[in-house]
Amino acid sequence: MSTITIDPITRIEGHSKVTIQLDEQGEVIGARFHVTQVRGFEKLCQGRPFTEMPALMARICGICPTSHLLASSKACDDIMAVRIPETAEKLRRIMNLAQIVQSHALSFFYLSAPDFLLGMDADPEERNIMGVVRKFPKMAQDGIKLRQFGQRILETLGGKRVHPGWIVPGGVSHPLQADQRDAILAATPEAIRITREALQWFKGQIENFRAEVRSFANFPSMFLAMANDANEFSAYNGWLRFIDANLNIVADHITGTDYMNYIGESCNDDSYLKSTYYKPLGLKDGVYRVGPLARLNMCKSAGTPLANEELAEFRELERHSVLSSFYYHYARLIEILFSIERMQQLLNDPEILSQNVRAHASPNNYEGVGILEAPRGTLIHHYRIDRNGLIESANLVIATGHNNEAINHGVFQVARQFVKSKKLEQGALNRVEAVIRAFDPCLSCSTHAAGMMPLDIQLIAADGEMVDRVRR
Amino acid sequence: MTRILVLGYGNTLRGDDALGPRAVERLRPLVFPAETLACHQLIPELAAQLAEYDAAIFVDAAAAGEPGTVHVRRLLPETQTASLTHHVSPATLLAMAHELYGRAPQSLLVTAVGADFTLQSSDEGPLSAAATRALDEICRLLPQLVRDFPVGW
Repeated sequence: MSTITIDPITRIEGHSKVTIQLDEQGEVIGARFHVTQVRGFEKLCQGRPFTEMPALMARICGICPTSHLLASSKACDDIMAVRIPETAEKLRRIMNLAQIVQSHALSFFYLSAPDFLLGMDADPEERNIMGVVRKFPKMAQDGIKLRQFGQRILETLGGKRVHPGWIVPGGVSHPLQADQRDAILAATPEAIRITREALQWFKGQIENFRAEVRSFANFPSMFLAMANDANEFSAYNGWLRFIDANLNIVADHITGTDYMNYIGESCNDDSYLKSTYYKPLGLKDGVYRVGPLARLNMCKSAGTPLANEELAEFRELERHSVLSSFYYHYARLIEILFSIERMQQLLNDPEILSQNVRAHASPNNYEGVGILEAPRGTLIHHYRIDRNGLIESANLVIATGHNNEAINHGVFQVARQFVKSKKLEQGALNRVEAVIRAFDPCLSCSTHAAGMMPLDIQLIAADGEMVDRVRR
Repeated sequence: MTRILVLGYGNTLRGDDALGPRAVERLRPLVFPAETLACHQLIPELAAQLAEYDAAIFVDAAAAGEPGTVHVRRLLPETQTASLTHHVSPATLLAMAHELYGRAPQSLLVTAVGADFTLQSSDEGPLSAAATRALDEICRLLPQLVRDFPVGW
């Protein structure tokens, strides 16, 4: 048996490694995605006052601090047993939607666009954001503008782009001002224009990526996302629902009090990234996916006009669930469109400028759970406190952990299709990286790791000898 | 009027890596009317902002070298790495500004070698003695560079 290792992986958030195992005939018989760093936020927050959690947890990641801030604040709301003011909830939703826009724009325009625009077989020296800048400057400018749009909203509301404040247990710290609302609204038409053009362009490219559509974690699995009575896209409020590959509901109305009955977490010997699974079926059969693809498979309607049109077209890709993880990219663009439209709706609500934006209370529960749809998927923060309000334990279930087993499926599928010898060819390497990027994994979040974003791929032979290795 | 930006970057929770943002905090009144910006890391959208300036000074901490030493060098637009993620080098940022917006500011890179980059529990933790010396040196050096622009660039 041989193994190929890809270590470290580029253009994702965090450290990781891929090993590809070959049999005696040189055929791929296994592939694994490993995360090689850990930081241990669940441990270091023990003993801290629960009110510090939002600010502390936001430090897990520089890309999605807002998601942690929101999930953590929701968990604290639960500990305080408060129902936050309606306007505060709307403002938090705007913050979450802005986070989705900026994070998806980063994933699509900065990290994945080089693959789409320059080709999966292109030289990595050229297949990067500078390659895009040189050959497709308008696309690069649009990507910058769209990310700036999301970042500026976070900065306007939260005070700064990275690690913003403002979201606090009980609501938000201060109300929205009319000039802030007007500035955000004024920027939305341009953001919608950019997103619609990117969607048109991407849809026109799909035909060129048939092999990737076929092999990028394209397999029947369950999906997990937030759901609501209206079956509309939901990123902030609702309960959790599992559906199968045929869109049948497997489990529904899962809340913070019973998520542990449905979601199991398994530690891995070869990775700091946990694998989560649908508990009733166990680790092997309980694989599911979260994130944009899961959310679009879950909802019947986006809830906004332009996103609804796009969702209808997206649904035509398959009879039941859209299964290829290559379509995560497509789903991301639709979610950006939805997020901008929904922000317009929320900002045009006259109540959005209400001064009543925060509820105050002391702890009323020893336990609190906050659930949210982060850009990459379902995010759960679960805290237990002692009688003094100090954290006894914290459990964070992160999108990339939910997707871990699906990523392994994807790496295996791609390796089987594109690794043809004991030598790692450029095209195969690029696609192994690209299938992982389709999930937009955030390793800083999932293992709470610190550091750079390298890639290490190792090819291991049947006798255990490493026959090839590429580091990028 | 010449527009100059002093941009300090680094992780304020990683000990001496906070040197860039700390320098900017202290320099703000000293380099007026130059503008200042402190950030965690350099990201591509800064290219649009940079293109609006005539000159820029990037301030960063370095891990290699004699702790406490400060180095100033001219920076030209250049793509420095193939495996880009969401963060980019200052030279690549200048290249992006040039390619996308037709102009990149004349730039200097000021690096100060730190001694301790371990994680801290506060944004406001102390810098090492070497980094503190380097910070003093930067605060002595930069106002002069800004005042004398373009002499010494």
